[in-house]
Amino acid sequence: MTMRSSLRYLHRGEIRDVSHFGPMTTLLDHLRLERGLKGTKEGCNEGDCGACTVVLGRLVDGHVSYRPVNACIQLLGQIDGEELITIEDLAASDGTLHPVQSAMVDLHGSQCGYCTPGIVMSLFALYQADGPVGRSEVTDQLAGNLCRCTGYRPIVDAALSACAARTENKPGDHVASKSAETAVKLASLRDGADLFVGSQTSFFAAPASIESLATLYHQHPDAILVAGATDVGLWITKQLRQLPKIIHLGRVVGLAEVHETADGLTIGAAATFSDVEAHMTAIDPDLGEVWRRIGSKQVRASGTVGGNIANGSPIGDSPPALIALDATLTLQKGDDTRKMPLEAYFIAYGKQDRKPGEFVRSIHVPRLKPHQVFRAYKISKRFDQDISAVMSAFRLTLEGDFIREARIAFGGMAATPKRAHGAEKALVGASLADEASWAAALAAIRADFTPLSDMRASATYRSDTAAALLEKALIEIAGTSTHATRVTGHRPVSEAAE
Amino acid sequence: MGARLFGASVQRLEDARLVTGRGRYVDDIHPAGVVHAAFVRSSLAHGLIQSIDTSVARTMPGVLAVYVMSDFAAFASGPLPQLAPHPLIQGPITYEPLASGEVRHVGEAIAMVLATSRAEAEDAAERINLDIEPLPVAADLAHALDPDAPKARSERADNRLATLKTAFGDVAGTFARADHVLKETFTVHRGGCHSMETRGVIATFDADDRRLEMWTSSQSPYLVRRNLASYFGLDESAVRVRAPDVGGGFGPKAAVYPEEAAVALAAMMTGKPVKWIEDRSEHFLATTQQRDQIWELEVAASNDGRLLGVRGRCLHDNGAYAPYGAILPATALGSFPGPYALEALDISIDIVLTNLVPTTPVRGASRPSVAFVLERLADRVARHLGLPREEIRRRSFIRVEQMPYVTGTKARDGSPISYDSGDYTAALNLVLDKIDADGFAARRAEAASRGKLLGLGLASCVEDTGLGPFEGATVRVSSRGRVIVTTGAASQGQGHQTTLAQIAADALGVSLENVSVEAADSGKFPLGISTIASRVAVTAGSSVELAAQQVRRKALKTASHLLEAAEDDLEIENGVVFVKGASDVKVTLATLAQSLAGTAGMRLPGGIEPDLAATAYFESTALTFAHGSNACEVEVDPETGDVRITRYVVAHDCGRLINPLIVDGQIRGGVIHGIGNALYERMIHDDQGQPLTATYADYLLPMASEMPNIEIYHLESPSPRNPLGVKGAGEGGTIPAAACVISAIEDAIGPGGTFLRHHPISFEEVAGLIDTRTI
Ligand SMILES: Cc1cc2nc3c(=O)[nH]c(=O)nc-3n(C[C@H](O)[C@H](O)[C@H](O)COP(=O)(O)OP(=O)(O)OC[C@H]3O[C@@H](n4cnc5c(N)ncnc54)[C@H](O)[C@@H]3O)c2cc1C
Ligand code: FES
Ligand code: FES
Repeated sequence: MTMRSSLRYLHRGEIRDVSHFGPMTTLLDHLRLERGLKGTKEGCNEGDCGACTVVLGRLVDGHVSYRPVNACIQLLGQIDGEELITIEDLAASDGTLHPVQSAMVDLHGSQCGYCTPGIVMSLFALYQADGPVGRSEVTDQLAGNLCRCTGYRPIVDAALSACAARTENKPGDHVASKSAETAVKLASLRDGADLFVGSQTSFFAAPASIESLATLYHQHPDAILVAGATDVGLWITKQLRQLPKIIHLGRVVGLAEVHETADGLTIGAAATFSDVEAHMTAIDPDLGEVWRRIGSKQVRASGTVGGNIANGSPIGDSPPALIALDATLTLQKGDDTRKMPLEAYFIAYGKQDRKPGEFVRSIHVPRLKPHQVFRAYKISKRFDQDISAVMSAFRLTLEGDFIREARIAFGGMAATPKRAHGAEKALVGASLADEASWAAALAAIRADFTPLSDMRASATYRSDTAAALLEKALIEIAGTSTHATRVTGHRPVSEAAE
Repeated sequence: MGARLFGASVQRLEDARLVTGRGRYVDDIHPAGVVHAAFVRSSLAHGLIQSIDTSVARTMPGVLAVYVMSDFAAFASGPLPQLAPHPLIQGPITYEPLASGEVRHVGEAIAMVLATSRAEAEDAAERINLDIEPLPVAADLAHALDPDAPKARSERADNRLATLKTAFGDVAGTFARADHVLKETFTVHRGGCHSMETRGVIATFDADDRRLEMWTSSQSPYLVRRNLASYFGLDESAVRVRAPDVGGGFGPKAAVYPEEAAVALAAMMTGKPVKWIEDRSEHFLATTQQRDQIWELEVAASNDGRLLGVRGRCLHDNGAYAPYGAILPATALGSFPGPYALEALDISIDIVLTNLVPTTPVRGASRPSVAFVLERLADRVARHLGLPREEIRRRSFIRVEQMPYVTGTKARDGSPISYDSGDYTAALNLVLDKIDADGFAARRAEAASRGKLLGLGLASCVEDTGLGPFEGATVRVSSRGRVIVTTGAASQGQGHQTTLAQIAADALGVSLENVSVEAADSGKFPLGISTIASRVAVTAGSSVELAAQQVRRKALKTASHLLEAAEDDLEIENGVVFVKGASDVKVTLATLAQSLAGTAGMRLPGGIEPDLAATAYFESTALTFAHGSNACEVEVDPETGDVRITRYVVAHDCGRLINPLIVDGQIRGGVIHGIGNALYERMIHDDQGQPLTATYADYLLPMASEMPNIEIYHLESPSPRNPLGVKGAGEGGTIPAAACVISAIEDAIGPGGTFLRHHPISFEEVAGLIDTRTI
């Protein structure tokens, strides 16, 4: 097993080597303070505003694929082996603006200009991705970018206009014109070596294999595992915690893979929300809708499902959906692995069934079987990039009109993601065709939870909404829905009943 | 003369820099040897500092110095001077650079660390131990004037800082005679500015010359200069303050802050450049906000739906300090009677001290709050009389033939306010037409068939703009023929570099690319006031026009000497002065500038004064009044209370438009700000004055997906009060927006539903108001 002691990344066609950096150094500090590249801005230092957005490129199936990330909470070490593109890099060397930049000028997409670098980088990532771009693609792309001046409309128009004029070889885009060269250079950075920068008492490590990871974490059970750092980054920038030992999971070969199996899919712990988005949507469109509203593009490009589970938060969006789908968690410590139903992992607030030195290896998610139907709704104050007040997921197994089994899980209703056992029981034997037969479940669900009041919602609202969402799911599945809501996304009635 | 640039939607000169990351904001400036500051702030809303233990912090890596207020004794002591003194406010109610005795809100700066990096300064600041003895906290506006309420400031008898009043007409008679008198209480909440760039300051001090230089992310660099020079006992000529690119202001950056003084003091103490960049958490704690006003009002109306009078009282949450005097309450009083031709008015505002961060204007200042209460009252009367909301307005508005209209209220300088021009009913009719109010019933029925509630909202406003006294400008032609405009007026994204250049380019017959605008540097232009209250187009714009016209006359006079032609026969185009009809008889502006720059031993042409330049200070002696009407449609989900704004139409009149592209940008951004105030933005403090929504995960700003299509239509009633005929446009989008959205939500819930008396309104509250909710 080879070991490398300096970080390497590609920038402006050159491979840069960084052999000394503190494990907690953020990419934003590296850019602004060490490299003197001031175009990238700090607006919040907590992943919310997108002023710090930069784009990272990595090889996917031989092609360079670009994604926007928040440099403020991305750790420098995480970008090993990737291409970095910042706002300074988009215009051609003769000063000709990138099509996205010209469109922003033409349509008055900038006022004070402070959000502008981040917005241009988000739009640049959209421009690089292929596929049609309509208004909803643009607002999805901008869900992680705040602008206080413009009211967004000119920015949306700029994105639409730049992307509409885009042809296959992307004229005026010198990043795209060099993509073959970039691919070769990125391939040369794939050395399969374990990265270890620092000393035994303070280091940033990015093991390249499961074995190396298991060994290293076994040796340093006090190290902090980092997958996307969309949680851990905030511990550093907001809580000012000292994290001397960091083990990054992003380079572990195979750990970010998603395998389709006969009955479902297995999600590696380091797979990002973006990596699994299409797979989840294929299981059910409601999952796609929930996924699209987890954080922002930037957060989904870094944040992982593994991290969302491992952090044990009662308001994480993926656990309720995965619990309703009856997902299984695989944990590993040294060479030993063990499996458990996902819901069993969450013991109490801040307490999970994970031993020192043990890490999340993967999550297995069964696909829906024939006669199973699924619904999931995320309720938050703001449509995009907002923490859920209530997150709900329902899987019903049907026999004709009768409900044979129900799995219902909620987030935001208790100290952990939690099933509604009472309502599940009460639904067994109920009929979709007979609304009166739902009453017991609608009453039971209020007894299943004693939610708290906080700034996101009151306890009463949470209880009312839980019941309303159960009823909504039943109405939709029964095929009598007339309520297509924005909150939950539109689903044509014809699709609803199995 | 070439095509006029005034009135054209030309692209902004600022943008090529901004879209390539070449904007230069305070944090992008790094003087050699700069050291970084971090502040230790109070975690209590009210208390007495007992001791500050800095011993550990001083030994931390990279730390150069740790200061508390007493360390600055050689340079300064006591509170900062009052910015805008008000006769009713006994003060100063201003901050010390670092609090030394009583702390009065969470986030007040108490100690300061200097270190070689920001991270080291922050780490050391964490290790300073504060011992603060808690005092009772005044955090509840509604009860802060109760006899037994805790006092926000121990030295005062109670929490009433002052009471401001305005009144006109026979109030008692009007209310006694009125067919209807209705009483309502409104709670209006507005949040912070949330400019994407936080505050930031750099200071350097030359001890030999006793010269202080600062860069600050400010709307008011000249106020910073005046305030700090006076505080430090320096001559203003020894203090240079610059505002570089500023990433948004929206009001709070117009105040002068204790951190600005503390950073300057640290530079004086160390002789090193000192930099402080506010982080987002500090922005939530220590940058001024707007927050709450509680209005108890009565409206008098006639049977035929005319608003006759309004009277009542407002409690205004001032926070713990009044750095900006009584500017917010004074603006509130000045915003009455809005577009309504009232016979009588009697309003008093109690300025209430609380243990919260001070309030100063946020986009629109108190104007959105007053628009909200007036528009709500108009809707209330409509409900009561069963008349359409627009009919109440048509019958109550000031009519165009009444212009100029003396309202009965007084401006800040005591002069009577009179509206200059505008057809308010035309604006109202225009939005109703554009939103197709006639087709609304059909759209509502269609939405109902999808299980949704559709509502139509309406709101109008009048906005005082062009606040005096002046912003000045110098227009100079350089020896290369470039036109350089210098002004004190700072920019935070309003596009002044472009609009001021448009004015100068037209006057001087040059292309836009040949004009540069240099702004907000007291080393380059002697005087300035502030970029607030939608005043720069009127003040600086008019000054640029006046100065550029003088330069034009000087250029023609000089050319007439050089070309031996009569001035009347000369024309300027593309930087060249030529004889009409004989365009080869010509001289460039560059040559004229050179000839007026003087050559050793040679006489100036025609005895004309040197320098092809002129300076003008247009004094705005009377306000100009912009106005507008907004209409919007909202779709409400009865199950969750979710509100989606599906259409938004603005009719806006800000006089003559310099650049419609930029005006539309101001309006659109302003409307979104108002939508944020209506639906999302809520700065919550608990009863101990602790902020509960101090990150963007908890304090929600509107995002792209919240953004409706905003259709903007302009009416142009030129102001007779300045040479350009312009009025301000910076806040007109925000002022009626919250009122408009709330009125639409109320309409969606239906005529039998609750009358809405506050904003913001949450989806949870909306759901609670709908009785058809499934559960
Ligand atoms: C702006 C913003 C918006 C957000 N919005 C949402 C949202 O809408 N919905 C939502 O659910 N979340 C949201 N989050 C939270 C966050 O993105 C998620 O929790 C994410 O899934 C965390 O994944 P990560 O890979 O970034 O975790 P990291 O930050 O890398 O790690 C999180 C925790 O998990 C541990 N960990 C990570 N991987 C493993 C592993 N394999 N084994 C054991 N422990 C591990 C880490 O040590 C750490 O304790 C948001 C965050 C931000 C900054
Ligand atoms: S600085 Fe706001 S997201 Fe990074
Ligand atoms: S342009 Fe100012 S924040 Fe977007």
